[in-house]
Amino acid sequence: MSYKCSRCKRDVELDEYGGVRCPYCGHRVLLKERAPEIKDVPVE
Amino acid sequence: MTNDFEVEFIEPGERSARFLVRGVSPAVANGIRRAMVADVPTFSIDTVRFVENSSVMFDEMIGLRLGLVPLSTPIGDFEEGDVVTLALDVEGPATAYSGDLESADAMVQPADENIPIIELKDGQHLEFEADAVLDSGKSHAKHQGGVSVGYRHLQRVEVAGDAGEFEEQEPNILRGVIEEAAAEHADADADATDGDLVATDAFDNDLTNRYPGKEVEVHDVPDAFVFHVETDGSFSVEELVLRAAETLGDRAAELESKVAI
Repeated sequence: MSYKCSRCKRDVELDEYGGVRCPYCGHRVLLKERAPEIKDVPVE
Repeated sequence: MTNDFEVEFIEPGERSARFLVRGVSPAVANGIRRAMVADVPTFSIDTVRFVENSSVMFDEMIGLRLGLVPLSTPIGDFEEGDVVTLALDVEGPATAYSGDLESADAMVQPADENIPIIELKDGQHLEFEADAVLDSGKSHAKHQGGVSVGYRHLQRVEVAGDAGEFEEQEPNILRGVIEEAAAEHADADADATDGDLVATDAFDNDLTNRYPGKEVEVHDVPDAFVFHVETDGSFSVEELVLRAAETLGDRAAELESKVAI
């Protein structure tokens, strides 16, 4: 899962051992980024 | 039905018009109205592939807005189910308008260029590719070519006599189009002649303005209907009516051939 640290704005990869914490600045608020793939939306 | 219809335009216009049809039964008049609403196919965006959307709105909501953008639909060149691709790429700060949509087919373009899709702030970016499909109003209201389509009886106004001298005259409201049958009493309109077609908004929808101090009688003219037709811009009123009549004819022919078997 890729996130972005809300303080240092760097991309963060989380694994199951590290807990929720930015490895660069230690900030605990991470933002989930929109997936880069193309999204198909039907108009209804 | 063997006799021909008689069609007369009262208020001609590209997107909105009023016209009188004589010699048409109520059933056929309603058939044409329904065909205009539900059976004339128009292009409308049906699926959207979002490459990037960092705007404040969800993809689905933007998709919904895109579906409602009317697209010009040329006559004869497309069949139902045909697909035309449109693309948009706008970076904030700016507002994405329907005019920013770029079509792969020059004949299929947004009917209006100034429909706002979404306002983008600094750093926001909207980019997508959309497929417009030709389909009819039956399947979804976004494919409706005729919006606000209706008809009324043509009404004939006759003067029956004078109103009581000391009577307070109450407004006699009438909406639609009247056929003049008492031109000599039409005080407000000096050069009125019998048989004139007058829209009631010409005299503020109040018959007492046109025939002051007179007792009037209003009758529906049989088999004469005044249509008011507005299109969404996909095509002109004239084309819409012609296509609606065509679909009616097609279905009648289909019924005939199926009954024959």
